[in-house]
Amino acid sequence: MKAVITSIFAAIILALIFSLPALAQDSDTITITMKGVNEISISLDKTQWPLGNVASDTEYTTSPPIEWCTLTAGGNCNMKTFIVGEDAKWIDSPGAYKWTLSSDGTNGDHIYGLWFRISGDTTRGYVPVTKTEGEFWPYSGGSSLAPGDTKQFGLKLLTPIYFVGGRQMQTKITISAVTA
Amino acid sequence: MVGRIKSAGLIAALLVILLPSFTLAQNVNFGVSPAEVHIDNLAPGESAEFELAIHNKEELAHNLTIATFQPPEEDRREGRAEFPDDRWISFSSQEIEVAANSQASVTVTVAIPQEQKWAGEDWEIWLGVAAETSDLLAARLYVRLLVSTNPAAKAGSNAGLVAGIVVGIILLGFGGYYCFRRKARPEYL
Repeated sequence: MKAVITSIFAAIILALIFSLPALAQDSDTITITMKGVNEISISLDKTQWPLGNVASDTEYTTSPPIEWCTLTAGGNCNMKTFIVGEDAKWIDSPGAYKWTLSSDGTNGDHIYGLWFRISGDTTRGYVPVTKTEGEFWPYSGGSSLAPGDTKQFGLKLLTPIYFVGGRQMQTKITISAVTA
Repeated sequence: MVGRIKSAGLIAALLVILLPSFTLAQNVNFGVSPAEVHIDNLAPGESAEFELAIHNKEELAHNLTIATFQPPEEDRREGRAEFPDDRWISFSSQEIEVAANSQASVTVTVAIPQEQKWAGEDWEIWLGVAAETSDLLAARLYVRLLVSTNPAAKAGSNAGLVAGIVVGIILLGFGGYYCFRRKARPEYL
């Protein structure tokens, strides 16, 4: 009986010797760092473009064409900016009918093109808005905007060659930002 | 079946109303802080929490949604891999109403499953905050979330525990066997 008690005691001691240092490591400090006291912020001074009735295979541009909306970088960190579009959906039944957003700005049957142009961007001119996030402002050293920077831009829409008429369509363009 | 009409002469028949948001024009203006969060030394099996503050800088209340987003490789920080599973990230609320000119907070929890293969990794994922709107233009702000898992601590912990348990079982077994043998031994008077 004495041997049993000794064995159990030894087993416990040995188990503790092996596992205590390891258990102690479980209390390692998890470091959560908020980089600086930074805030990321953007503002857009216009969000709507009520076109009304449109014809097929026709281009529409905002007015003024390339200074229609102003994006302002706020917060206190440099940021990279992106732009992405989506299919235009029939408001009454979004799942039943849509115009597909083209990947290169061209149009087709039930396919429409969408473009944006930033004032002062003479290199790119009009750039297609696609369903994949693309860079909004890819210049000024490291593709970033600094706090306080503003960019004016406009939009251009190319309607489908053929579409079903009499339907209210709606789409969305999202401009996003992340720290540079 | 809708007939296919391609004739330019019939364009007038194809009129639709596009983007008919005739509601009061609105601006978009909001911010998120912090813009970048680093979580270091997070061991598999552990979790970490932090708060995101969302600032609504407009004169109207807004509903904002929060979701994870896997950034493309070229937009991730150098040396960072794709976050393996966005279900490991949870929010106290994925939709939050922020009153005009005020701010609200969302608690973000990052929990890594207790599997050795997740030790010693450097990942990046983005948390996207967007204002709900039916307008044409919308804004989304991303928070960079950089998570580094503890490289060795959990590995040592598991090995030590397993070794301790194995040794304990062996010794207990030996003790039990020894006791059994002693009891089974015939006694000679």
